[in-house]
Amino acid sequence: MSDEGIRSLPTDGELTVDPVLADALSRQLAASYATVPAATAAELAACTRAVLQAATRDRAVRGAFRRRWWWGGAAAAVLVLAVARPWHPRHVQQEAHAAMQEAMGAPATAPSVAPVGVVSEGPGGVVHFALRLPAGARAVSLVGDFNGWDAAATPMARTGASAEWSAQLPLTPGRHVYAFVIDGTRWLVDPMAPQVPDADLGPANAVIVEGAF
Amino acid sequence: MPVAAWVILWQLAAAVSQAPLASETVETPQPPASRVAQPPVPFDATRFDSLTATTLRGLFEDAAEMGLPVRPLVNRALEGSARRASSERILRVVREFAAALYEARQLLGPGSTEGELDAAATALRAGVDERTLGAIRDMRPAGTAVTALVVVTDLVQRGVPAPQAREALTAVGRSRPDDVLLGLQATVAKNASRGPGMAMDALQRYVRSNGTPGSSAGTPAPTPATPDRKPARPPGQ
Repeated sequence: MSDEGIRSLPTDGELTVDPVLADALSRQLAASYATVPAATAAELAACTRAVLQAATRDRAVRGAFRRRWWWGGAAAAVLVLAVARPWHPRHVQQEAHAAMQEAMGAPATAPSVAPVGVVSEGPGGVVHFALRLPAGARAVSLVGDFNGWDAAATPMARTGASAEWSAQLPLTPGRHVYAFVIDGTRWLVDPMAPQVPDADLGPANAVIVEGAF
Repeated sequence: MPVAAWVILWQLAAAVSQAPLASETVETPQPPASRVAQPPVPFDATRFDSLTATTLRGLFEDAAEMGLPVRPLVNRALEGSARRASSERILRVVREFAAALYEARQLLGPGSTEGELDAAATALRAGVDERTLGAIRDMRPAGTAVTALVVVTDLVQRGVPAPQAREALTAVGRSRPDDVLLGLQATVAKNASRGPGMAMDALQRYVRSNGTPGSSAGTPAPTPATPDRKPARPPGQ
């Protein structure tokens, strides 16, 4: 800085800018930056560490970690993770969702995607039941008035690697009421088959086996 | 006598008094009606507590004395047990179903089969009115109304008003095989899942086509009667 520039500073403490001097200074500063070599990675890392250390020494930054709402937020996050359990298999989540729906009054037999069932009658009164489930199930059984509504009496077999389950059993001619039990807990009906609802017990399907009845 | 002996004697007496209720599989009493073709259903009393089992057995005996079929009542009780319903709920369902069976027999006549009475009682509990049951009785002679009763129950369950369901059945099902009625059920079921009003639209189209929409007579429709569009409304509405 020249002596003229220094002398241009006012004595009453109020700063005034000489445009000629400012232009000269900016040109000199730009020229000096152009001569500075580029920083290396080590220098950048050292600079970053220094900035972070200075920031953490600051009382305001350290105080942010001491605020109580941080701990409240962390507790809420732990609670949400413990309830939702996103790391669990999908079928466990679906069971929990169905249980929640049932507890809230919605029918437990209303999955998000409708299953597809097929009932066909073969020779000799043998009826073939098939059920294709959109979601994975570990076990499916057939219950009805033909087996005393016993979930352990007629387990359905999974056909291949798909989510299709089937069972066949001989039935006497007449009308039979049945339903599917998924994993021993969820009751399911075929949405396309004839339904015989009972408001007090829940929905069920009906199949009519031909013959004299 | 020591206290331990008294305790053992008391336990033995309790076991003897409860043994017939807890472990016995009782054959249900059979009604005197002559048209019960189904085999008797064993009433597994072990699936209920002793008080509920005793009450149920009394209900079955009362129904048998009135000439009502007992097998549907046993099935209701077992179904309730399998669904893990409470004892009070099971007893209420069995009582109400027995009343529905009685009403169904009054409507369908004394010559009705057990399957017809069971299906008619279910229809009554699903909201089918008495006039519809009478129309089905007029349409189908005794022993041949089970399919019609199942179909009308399903139609009402899917949102079709009972008068419209009755008209459709009498228009389509009179002197026609049961396959036509099952085709009506399948058509309505397919279209009912597409939105409100679609079930009625499909029903009317099936009736207008006399049960043969685009196919040969007497066979159900292989495809839904209604494409993906809004239900047809009469002009002026």
